[in-house]
Amino acid sequence: MTDDTAAASAKRAVTFWIFAFVGAMFGTALLLRTTAIVPAPWGMAVLIAPMLLLIPLVRAAEAMQRQTGCDSAAAVRYNRRILFASFLYVAGLAAALILFKGQDVSKPVAALLSLLPTLPVFGIIWAMGRYIVEESDEYLRARTVSAALVATGLLLAVATFWGFLTTFEVVPNVPMWAAVPVWCFGLGIGQLVNKVRGA
Amino acid sequence: MKNRLKVLRAERDWSQQDLAERLEVSRQSVNAIETGKYDPSLPLAFRIADLFAMRIEEIFQRD
Repeated sequence: MTDDTAAASAKRAVTFWIFAFVGAMFGTALLLRTTAIVPAPWGMAVLIAPMLLLIPLVRAAEAMQRQTGCDSAAAVRYNRRILFASFLYVAGLAAALILFKGQDVSKPVAALLSLLPTLPVFGIIWAMGRYIVEESDEYLRARTVSAALVATGLLLAVATFWGFLTTFEVVPNVPMWAAVPVWCFGLGIGQLVNKVRGA
Repeated sequence: MKNRLKVLRAERDWSQQDLAERLEVSRQSVNAIETGKYDPSLPLAFRIADLFAMRIEEIFQRD
């Protein structure tokens, strides 16, 4: 197999696993929402099953990075850390929801419960920071930093606009934890910008 | 910035991967530098110059 066909095949594998993962997550969420198979607070725990598809997705992404010549030891460590933190996040959120909805909890206990999904997200933020510190390839690091700046700009812009829309009662309040998913979405946009600019 | 990296590499019959391994960077970095999409830092430019046993300005020129 030539390098080009191997790279194309690796890209197809990544696309397949992305569709499989997103489809399984949405399918499971839809099933939980429309049926009463699993009681509400336990629904989040069930989502751990389709999340297992992240493992072959990350493996396929790493194979693609090897084929396209942008693999690095720091990126592999980053992938492993993000994967581990993501599973902890869903498990922590599920545990917090089950404990919170199951009984009347006091404010200090509720504050402790909120740490269950929060700490893994701190882990995700730490993993992003470590990647930039550990990446020894300056070009790959510069691309990530550039994408991170796009993400930060997007988050600030969206938060400001949404905030004023809320002030003038156009849209409802959004929980502050939405900041990390919005930033991650911005990171994806930033990587797309890198691609379009040919950087 | 212009550079002669592609020519120097071809003279030695090295692939981008060969050069990337010698410089301890990714193949995509070599590609980005060769095509002028990315200007290397001074330390990396010195590593490139050392590898080809040349001065930096013999490899990299102003546009």
